[in-house]
Amino acid sequence: MPLDKFFDWFYTLFGLKKTVRLGIYGSVNTGKTTLANRISKDWTGQEVGKASPIPHETRFVQKKEKIHIKHRGKNLTINLLDMPGIATKIDYRQFLKYGLSKKAARQRAKEATDGVIEAIKWLNNVDTVLAVMDATQDPLTQVNVTLLGNLEARKIPVIIVANKIDKRRADPDAIRDAFPQYPVVEVSALKGKNVGQLYEVIAKHAKGAK
Amino acid sequence: MKPQKIKFDFVSSATLDEKPKSLRINFILNKVKNGTILVTDGVLKPEEEIDLIKETMRRVDDGFPGIEVASLKKPAKGMLNFVEKMADQKEKIQSLFAGLAGQTFEKTSMRTGLTLIGPARFIKKVKKNPNSFSVLAEV
Repeated sequence: MPLDKFFDWFYTLFGLKKTVRLGIYGSVNTGKTTLANRISKDWTGQEVGKASPIPHETRFVQKKEKIHIKHRGKNLTINLLDMPGIATKIDYRQFLKYGLSKKAARQRAKEATDGVIEAIKWLNNVDTVLAVMDATQDPLTQVNVTLLGNLEARKIPVIIVANKIDKRRADPDAIRDAFPQYPVVEVSALKGKNVGQLYEVIAKHAKGAK
Repeated sequence: MKPQKIKFDFVSSATLDEKPKSLRINFILNKVKNGTILVTDGVLKPEEEIDLIKETMRRVDDGFPGIEVASLKKPAKGMLNFVEKMADQKEKIQSLFAGLAGQTFEKTSMRTGLTLIGPARFIKKVKKNPNSFSVLAEV
């Protein structure tokens, strides 16, 4: 593992690294999979996973490898990693409201807790992170603060994606005010609004981007 | 109906600092899983806080859906910033040497601030502001 990190550092230092591992992180139901699907469909025509209004739909890391992004003369190859949502609590009872049986809800909760652990472990294996936040919600949550603090401590470049701007209550400026030290791109992953701007920022800020 | 009670434990950061990382997380989660709300005059480092989330997930069951955390870190400016950075560097070097010796470095100190950690079954909402937070609990 330390050897992997050394080679990683070496390749990045000399600009030899060709593929960027782009992790999509955030709280639950912020639209991470919708964004991953949007990016993947734009460049490969294929989706990464299923998005759903039921919390913790993504319970395993979903990958789409070798996505070639070309935007305004910049080329970037990414391995897209759609992460399970990070949470500090998972109660199986919340899934009963969506019509799941008790057994299915318990199973989903178990998989969701494993998914959070897996997402956290992957923090050591991403080059750049899209931190997705729901622009209709208060951004100053402990999950967001902890996630950004960890990325900063690991020196991983972060782009905050203020998602769901198609909704009336969306307030992307609240995200900018809460985290002024990070680039913030406001998008609607669902409608595809401003995604071009996101590619531009990824090409500019991603570790290993040329 | 018998009124339900919530227990608050106010623990000094010095008490938590004395414990190695793994024992510190264990200490916090044992209290919180038993229904106690823990308040301390320190802030876990981000790396330790994410370990706390990870360990919480391992312990989630029907009676313990998880935790709520709220913290306020004292902005590190001037001398405090310098002291914290030096302490971080010292810990990194100690961790590196421990790693070379095949050991795990378990001693880290908390940052100056305030943290509340409680069981999610009682704490219904945490509203954070840059310089304050409020907590809504329900029994």
